Amino acid sequence: MNSPIATKRLTKTYGPHTALRSIDLDIPTGRVVGLLGRNGAGKTTLLNIACGLVLPTEGSCETLGMPVKDLDSAELKQLGMVPQESRLIEWMKVQQHLAFNAAFYPRWDAVRELHLLKELELPHDRKIGQLSTGDRQKLSIILSVCHHPSLLLLDEPASALDPIVRGRMLDFLLSVVREDNCTVVISSHILTDLEKIIDWVVCLDRGEVVMSAALDVIQESYAEWIVTSPKGSLPGQFSEAFVLTHEGDAHQARLQVRPGQGIEQPFSARYCAEVVSRPLTLEQLFPLLINQRRNQR
Amino acid sequence: MLFVIDHHSGVPSYRQIMDQIKFQIASGALAANAELPSTRALSAKLSLNQMTISKAYSLLERDGVLERRRGQTLVVRALAEGALTITKIDQLRQSLVAGASAARQLGIPPGEALRVFRDMLNEPKDTRIHELPHRHQAAH
Repeated sequence: MNSPIATKRLTKTYGPHTALRSIDLDIPTGRVVGLLGRNGAGKTTLLNIACGLVLPTEGSCETLGMPVKDLDSAELKQLGMVPQESRLIEWMKVQQHLAFNAAFYPRWDAVRELHLLKELELPHDRKIGQLSTGDRQKLSIILSVCHHPSLLLLDEPASALDPIVRGRMLDFLLSVVREDNCTVVISSHILTDLEKIIDWVVCLDRGEVVMSAALDVIQESYAEWIVTSPKGSLPGQFSEAFVLTHEGDAHQARLQVRPGQGIEQPFSARYCAEVVSRPLTLEQLFPLLINQRRNQR
Repeated sequence: MLFVIDHHSGVPSYRQIMDQIKFQIASGALAANAELPSTRALSAKLSLNQMTISKAYSLLERDGVLERRRGQTLVVRALAEGALTITKIDQLRQSLVAGASAARQLGIPPGEALRVFRDMLNEPKDTRIHELPHRHQAAH
């Protein structure tokens, strides 16, 4: 099958506000995709369109090979979704809600359900209306994975979970990917968490795709240089095209660069400076990707 | 075989695995013909995507460090004695880059720096480091 989510010139407007602006995107199969973006970048809109909750204004979005407006039970039973605000039936108990959902899915896995209830420490006899935000998130997650989806969409799934449960949840998601060869798209602003499990990054900004690439490729395309000149011979501005950002003084500067073969030596010689190159973390990369795009406009 | 992956270092995980396998081969911890864990088993153990593991393995295979045997098992390729020495020196050189850079920044002449290194090799390891609170241990 082609990519589980493919969009062409996908646009979504809400009245005068444009949430997504002519997006061309192919989500690769079997990846754990991190959907990054600032508030209002269009992450939730994209996920809602992908699962058919919201329809495109213009352009197209195909999920599991089917235009989203025609999604039917054949596709929907392969789809798992955890929305940002959980839509749960308040008067049911946890156990009842699980049984209710299970009835819709022929492939419902009761063993996985039990395992997850235990692993995420969710009490099965509690009323949903009385659950904490974190417990509601846990239930939404369990509800979304027990039918062995081949595409799992998670909108800020871990924001209310404590660090221990968050770690377990992410480990579990990886095991789902392993067992079911599932594609996972996960939007989150907790970047340090994501770094551990994602291997593909889609970065949205103001309704446009800034970057869609493998995480390791992005990590290797940028670096941080700590440049030290004992003589104080560093300039106020660096003219080299590979220097993206720069802060510091004549003695020491911190640069964000696009590293390349054989650029360090001449640079070091030109400024009589010592260069120490370090990789950038996802948290440092994120503003860089967004600002770079904004500067291009 | 133990791998320690630092998810927040910014170094791609596949690269960390590659470096650690190379190091273990150079140090003799992984002998020639030793079998590597399957991508599936290792991905479960390290909580990493299988693709990350297979990327590391296939790059090592391309570099001639590992080779695939009949069936699917991946083993450490037997290296000539000379080749192994080069690998060891490469490993050492990599870990000294930061030290050399610090020496230049501090203006310590090469002779002096060499003396420090020689002393470090001869002396037992400075144990004061272990008295510092260990961030990673505290997290567990």
